[in-house]
Order: sequence, then structure tokens, then C-alpha cells
Amino acid sequence: MSGKNRIPIFPTRMALTTMKSKLKGAVTGHSLLKKKSDALTIRFRAILSKILQNKQLMGATMREASFSLAAAKYAAGEIAHTVYENTTTATMRCRLANENVAGVHLPTFERNERIKDEGASNPQELTGLAKGGQQINKSREQYVKAIESLIELASLQTAFITLDEVIRTTNRRVNAIEYVVKPRIENTISYIIAELDEGDREEFYRLKKVQGKKKRDLAAKEAEKAQKKELEGVLNPGSSRHQPAQQRTILEEGEEDNLVLFS
Amino acid sequence: MFGTRGHGGIFTFNRNDGYFEALVRGYRAGILTQADYANLIQCDALEDMKLHLAQTDYGDFLANEPSPLHTTTIAEKCLERLVNEFVHIRNQAVEPLATFLDYITYGYMIDNVVLLITGTLHDRDVTELIEKCHPLGFFKSMATLSAVHSVAELYNTVLIDTPLAPYIQNCLLEEELDEMNIEVIRNTLYKAYLEDFYNYCKELGGETEMIMSDILQFEADRRAINITINSFGTELTKDDRELLYPNFGVLYPEGTSKLAKTDDIDQVKEILNAYVAYRDIISDTSAEKSLEDAFFEYEVKLNKMAFQTQFGYGVFYSYIKLREQEIRNIVWIAECISQQMKSKVNQFIPIF
Repeated sequence: MSGKNRIPIFPTRMALTTMKSKLKGAVTGHSLLKKKSDALTIRFRAILSKILQNKQLMGATMREASFSLAAAKYAAGEIAHTVYENTTTATMRCRLANENVAGVHLPTFERNERIKDEGASNPQELTGLAKGGQQINKSREQYVKAIESLIELASLQTAFITLDEVIRTTNRRVNAIEYVVKPRIENTISYIIAELDEGDREEFYRLKKVQGKKKRDLAAKEAEKAQKKELEGVLNPGSSRHQPAQQRTILEEGEEDNLVLFS
Repeated sequence: MFGTRGHGGIFTFNRNDGYFEALVRGYRAGILTQADYANLIQCDALEDMKLHLAQTDYGDFLANEPSPLHTTTIAEKCLERLVNEFVHIRNQAVEPLATFLDYITYGYMIDNVVLLITGTLHDRDVTELIEKCHPLGFFKSMATLSAVHSVAELYNTVLIDTPLAPYIQNCLLEEELDEMNIEVIRNTLYKAYLEDFYNYCKELGGETEMIMSDILQFEADRRAINITINSFGTELTKDDRELLYPNFGVLYPEGTSKLAKTDDIDQVKEILNAYVAYRDIISDTSAEKSLEDAFFEYEVKLNKMAFQTQFGYGVFYSYIKLREQEIRNIVWIAECISQQMKSKVNQFIPIF
């Protein structure tokens, strides 16, 4: 027997129904979880290929951006220090948003530029006014592109990690249901059924036995009656009358006594 | 200001300045040639560049640098070498050469002052900024910077003592320093500087005036054109823009007033078509060669011409500018090599 890994429960019919419904629940849960896992895995693979593409793109973009910086330095001289000292707050920001995929909350990053709205113009836009301004602007655009691709990559990578985690847990649950919960319930059900069957058999056997005894008793009585009749037939051969004269009544005994008294 | 009399002509120039002119011509002979650049382009790593540079006049200037060489280190060391040469001459020069050489440094001083103002405006530690200043633009009152905590103090204690004081006093009020955009401040100061320098060269007369006026006029026009083009789409108004144009140059006054009214680059090109030199420069641009590159090339041409005559101070100015272009070239080649972009390596401007 297989280790008997089953739920300890008293084997009654109600227990059987409960277990059956539990099994049904487990089966439904299993198929739902499997679907979820499959959907997430598809999304996961898609993200993986996008990450690959994106990383290559980002490599190229960053390379161009550094090169454009070199060109800007060539044309405008050493602008780095003035630019550093002139910065006050960030002009380019990143906002965290939430995306829902098959019940999983994935964080995504979005670029959030707040320049034009509050009338806060970029104080750095005049850098290189007299020399190299165009190269500086080009460099700025390249770096903005680089940042955008970095933000996208960051979203993809967080999604990747979160999805990975979730897929792992879901798969664990699927496997748990498939290899632990269902077998246990099935074992329990088969145990209960076995117990019930055994009880049924015992009942049946008992009934049969009782029946047999009854039959035997009946048979025995018949036999006794038949025997008695035979005996009667031997003692009173003439009497063909079937008088059950065995037992005289007191009245008849009284009559015999009367004969003795009155003679 | 000193030096209102012109310097000597053929007969008397060498008495005071002959030694220095000879020195500068010696330095000029060490400027990298096409052959040197051809060698440098073929390097695959910065260490190779170091080797090749060691065979030129640069010598072992990179000898003591730790092993992974950076382009910034190369740039610093080249600049250091140039500064040493300049300071060597400046320390021995007499009037009026000394004033002329000082004028050359005022441009860098303006950059440094702008950096200091920016730093003070944003409450940064000003003494740290001293390291970031251009070495050719050091001025004496830099030592007192640690006592400065606001722009007003900066203005009153430090800036007034610099040679830039007249420019600052004429153009900027103390209150304006806070509000004006830092680039506008820089360009206003530079305009005043250029005008002053131009007038000084005129006073000096002779060969200096001949050479320097061409160079400075080109510089003024170039700045006007650049300011115009770069201010499209920014918050700089047309009136403000016009205030930044220097009041001399080929384009002044008609060209500049037309430029002040333009809105896009095609109009600018149309205006410049009337001036032969600039028409040629603009037609020289292409996808590979930007307007800045064309300007640099023309500047190199003008500066080379300074060495064709004698008995003028133009050679000193031109030498500095040519060396700067050389440093730019070297850094460009170094960047292309280190970033593996050798296809673009030929975009520098060879000098000799």
C-alpha cells in the first residue's frame, strides 16, 4: 500500500460527499492556476525578447550619446563645470505607475517632464550661446533619448523580476495541488469508499449468516415435527384417527374418577 | 590703461619684443603637422597616442600618468603645457606686450568669473570652483574667494578688483546679476571685452592692427551669427539678442540689425550671402561638416596668416589660438579612439 497519505477523517458517507466536493474544488483550482501560469509565462517570454532588443538599442544609444558629448566638447569647450553649477532641480523625472497583468501588479516607469506646464523654463537652454550651441543641443537630445531607453529598460526589468517571482509561486501552487493535495484527497476518498464497502460487506455477511441461522432453525423445527409424527404413528397403529389424545384434560380425568366413585 | 602708444615698427620692435617673437615662432614650429596627425589617427589605444606624442615636441608630458589613460588627462596636460609656455612669455614681457598678453587672458577670465557667479548664486563652495577655473584666466583676487558668501559680496570685493571691472561696471548692475541668465551675463561681458580689445589693437597700430583687426572682426561676426542661430526657440528675445552683438565687424551695423530680426536659419543664410567670406563658409558646410567646423577652419586660416609678417603682436594671439585648436584636435582623436568611433576621426582641422 502506498504510505497511506490521507486526511484523517471518520469514514462516513457525508465525509465522502465532502471529500468529493473538495476534489472538485482542487481540480478547478488546478486548471485555473495552470491557465494563469501559462498566461504569465507567455508575457514573460515576450518581455524577455523585448529586454534583449532594448539592451542592444540602449547600448547603441548610449554610445551615440557619449560621442555627441565629445563633439559638443570639441565645439564649445569645457562646458561641464558651468552646467553642473547651474543645475537646480531635475528637469526630467520618472513616475511609477501600476499595470495589472492576469492579476499581477507590475510596476512601470514613465517619463515625466514638467517643464512647460509650470512655466519653469530650462535655464540651461542657452548654454553655448555663442559657441557650440547646436552641438550642445544635439548632445542634449541624444542624452534624453538615452534616458528614455533606460527608463523603458528599467520598467521591463522590474516587470521581468516580479513576473519571475509570481510565476515561481504559481507553479509551486500548481505542482502542490497536482502532487500533494489531489493525491491526498483521492486517497482519502478511496479509503472512505473502501471502509464503506467493507462495512457493507460485513453487513451483508451478517445478514447472510442470520438468514442461514434462521433457515437452520426452521429446518430443525421441521425435522423435529416430522420425527414426532413418526413416533405417534408407531405407538397408536390402529388409530387412524389423528387424535391428539396425548393430553387429557382434567375434565376427562374427572370422568374416570366418577366411574370409580359410583360403582 | 597702459600702452596707449603704439609699439615699435621695423626699426624698434626687436628691442623690446624681438626675443619673445622668436620664442613664439619656435613654439609655433612645434605645432603638430599633418604627418603627426596621420600617425595619431592610426593608433588603436590611448597608450599608442602617448607614444606618438612623445616623439613630437610634446615629449614626455604624459610620462607620469597612471596606466589607464583618460582623454581628460590628455586634455589637462596639453593645456598645462600651453599655460606654462604662455606664462613664461608673460612673466618676462614689458609694455605694451604685457598688456596685449593680458588682454588675451581676459577671455578666459570672463569664463572663470561666470563660473564663480553661478557657484555663488547656488550657494556652492566657491573655493572648490577655483580648481575648475581655466588656468589662463586666474586673477589675483581669487585668493579672497573663501570669504565670499553672496553675489553682492562677490561683486563688491572680488570682481571689482579684477581687470574685468570696467566691463562689469558698464554693463551689469549688482541686482541684475541674480536675475539675468548666466549665459546672457557671459556674452555681455564678452562683447565688452571684444570691443575693448579691438580698440586697443587699433591704438597699437602697425602690423598688430592689421592682423588683429581681421581676426577680431571675424570673432565678432562669428559670435553674432552663433548667438542668432542658437537663440531660435529659446527665451532670448530679439532685442536682448541684439544687445549681445559686438559693435564692430564686417556685419556691423547692417548685417547685425538684419540678423536681429530673423526667425530661422534660412533667413540667416540669405543675409550672409551678401558677404563673400561668409557665403563661402556657409556653402562649405555639409552633413559631415557643421557650421562650427567651418568657422574653426576659417579661424585657423586667419591665425596662420599672422605668422607671415613680422613686428606685430598678432603672432602671440595666433599661437595661443592655434595651440587650442591643436588640443581640441588631439582630444577629438583620443575620444574617437577610446569610444571606438574611428569612422569619425577625420573631423578635426589640421593646422599645418
